Amino acid sequence: MATAPLAPTILIVEDDPALRTLLMRLLREEGFQPLSAGHGAEMARLLETNTVDLILLDVMLPGSNGFDLCRAIRRDSEVPIVMLSARDDETDRLIGLELGADDYIGKPFSKKELIARIRAILRRAQGGAQSSQPRGHQQMTFAGWSLDPGRRELLSPDGTFVELSGAEFDLLLAFVTSPQRVIGRERLLEMSRARFSDASDRSIDVLVSRLRRKLAVTGQAEALLRTVRGVGYLFTAAVERR
Amino acid sequence: MKPWRLWPQRLGGQVTLVLMLAVALEFIGSSILFENSRIYPNRDNQVRRAAEQLVTAGNILENIPAAERPARAAALSNRGGRLVWSPQSALVDRERSAEHKLKDEFRDAEPGLRDRDLHFNAELGHALPRDTHLKVALRLRDGTWLTLKTRIRAAPWAVLLSSVGSAFILGLGVIAAAALVLRNLSRPLRALAEAADKVGQDAHVRIGETGAGDLKLVAKAFNAMQDRIAGLLRARTDALAAVGHDLRTPLARLRLRAGFVKDVEAREALEADVDEMTAMLDSLLAYLGGQEDPEPRRRTDLAALAMTVVDDAVDAGRPAAYDGLDHLPVQARPVSLKRAISNIVENALHYGGEANLTLTREGAAAVLAVEDSGPGIPEAELAEVLQPFHRLDSARARNTAGLGLGLTIVQQILHREGGVLVLKNRPEGGLRVELRLPAL
Repeated sequence: MATAPLAPTILIVEDDPALRTLLMRLLREEGFQPLSAGHGAEMARLLETNTVDLILLDVMLPGSNGFDLCRAIRRDSEVPIVMLSARDDETDRLIGLELGADDYIGKPFSKKELIARIRAILRRAQGGAQSSQPRGHQQMTFAGWSLDPGRRELLSPDGTFVELSGAEFDLLLAFVTSPQRVIGRERLLEMSRARFSDASDRSIDVLVSRLRRKLAVTGQAEALLRTVRGVGYLFTAAVERR
Repeated sequence: MKPWRLWPQRLGGQVTLVLMLAVALEFIGSSILFENSRIYPNRDNQVRRAAEQLVTAGNILENIPAAERPARAAALSNRGGRLVWSPQSALVDRERSAEHKLKDEFRDAEPGLRDRDLHFNAELGHALPRDTHLKVALRLRDGTWLTLKTRIRAAPWAVLLSSVGSAFILGLGVIAAAALVLRNLSRPLRALAEAADKVGQDAHVRIGETGAGDLKLVAKAFNAMQDRIAGLLRARTDALAAVGHDLRTPLARLRLRAGFVKDVEAREALEADVDEMTAMLDSLLAYLGGQEDPEPRRRTDLAALAMTVVDDAVDAGRPAAYDGLDHLPVQARPVSLKRAISNIVENALHYGGEANLTLTREGAAAVLAVEDSGPGIPEAELAEVLQPFHRLDSARARNTAGLGLGLTIVQQILHREGGVLVLKNRPEGGLRVELRLPAL
């Protein structure tokens, strides 16, 4: 595995000692440099003395919970945060993402899934991709549609919530962040698989056609996502940020 | 209830009071009727009195000088009958059946009249009640005549009628009063029966604490019982949900540990087990948490949800297909609705080998149909499969994963969105499951 020359430091904040040990071992095996804390105070101490590249933060913690800690960290740091939670429900996920967490993983998660997500987020943070994944509530609108990257939501012109798969959302986000510019298939593949690197190998063409169908409003979608023969796709609409 | 202080609160008291009122009413009513009927003595008595008056006056007049007789006759007159003495008969005896009948009655009433000369003249009055205006002349022993003018009151039909009428009205009154009280009793009872019937179906049923005192107590006890049942259920549900959540941490450890197992076969088996346990936990938590789902309802594109579910199945290499509208908004909680759709698709793929989704609009309803080509469900069991923890025998024999909550959860979710779940066996084989929701 091609990791960064300097092993990224990952801070695990988890109150279950056994799970903490397991995560330490796993991350070490994958070439990361893990640190661990059992609660918020310990986390704060470690953050003062170490440079941390990513925080794995459990939601259910003794004392102040993961949401409180997430909010506290975001006050003075942009360090990527991945929330771990035993409650795999949508409300918790939304709260986490709105507080500025970069991802949210429900327990139990597999090793593969965890590592994939950590890598994706580290890659996003390093690659100066800050602009491609705006944080917070910066909504984007195009042709009446609105896209909320924080909540990972797409609303149609009449305000209907339109469900997108993770890969579809990332693909659309890639288009919307580079509007009116031809984007090659390779680049799109890379961008849309940033989130789920273990996704099956569906082609970009399939993803685009699925996206077109979900965006279809009186035949507008074809024009919205124009195929550029032999190169890739062009997102034709103008995008406004709010 | 302040002005009704005298109205008893207990059921027994109310019934007693009504009975007492009815008896009192009956008593007062019949006394009045009785008083009324005493004013009208019957015909026999009237005839006897008249005959008596005639004989007595005749006897008196026979024994006094003729000169004093007119004055004495007047003196012997009374309100019932006027007596007039005259030397000759002023009355022609009319020989009609009415007169014959009266003559016989007079003679029966007063045997002293049997061998005396009597002239009768009876005229029936024109006005109701048709009284008989009677003139009777008695020949005294000295050949002079004493005439009695009297009135035999007709049988008091009107009185009879009015007494029957009064009794009828009285009876009606008592029945009406009793019906009112009974209604007062039965309405809360009926409400209670209806409420008891609804308990456990879905929402909490409260019944009004009205009616007689005892019924109020029943209503109160019923409501309190419901609160206790709801409390117990909530406590159990919370405990189960807490265990469910707590199990996730050891499951997370187990899944991570599985990653360290070198033996590939063993690792895959372990991971499959953890996946199965996770799926069971998820369905149990979805079933338990259904009522308190914090997810808000919003305008949601049903087509996009269905497409996402189908695409996920296709990506996993499974035979699913979507055909239908590109957009169809409904008012729903998207995450739970997606869970419902994927439960149905999962079932179709598992038992029916394929999942063909169609989305149409039928009037005001959005109909998402999922069809497979499997064995379907025996008609007799179509309703039972919706029961929690129910599994078809054939399914159990196949040793399938899950707790038998899939369809129950789907039904729960649809119910909360105002929709219905319809299961049908297709004539050409296989099962058709329809998720019907109000379209926007």
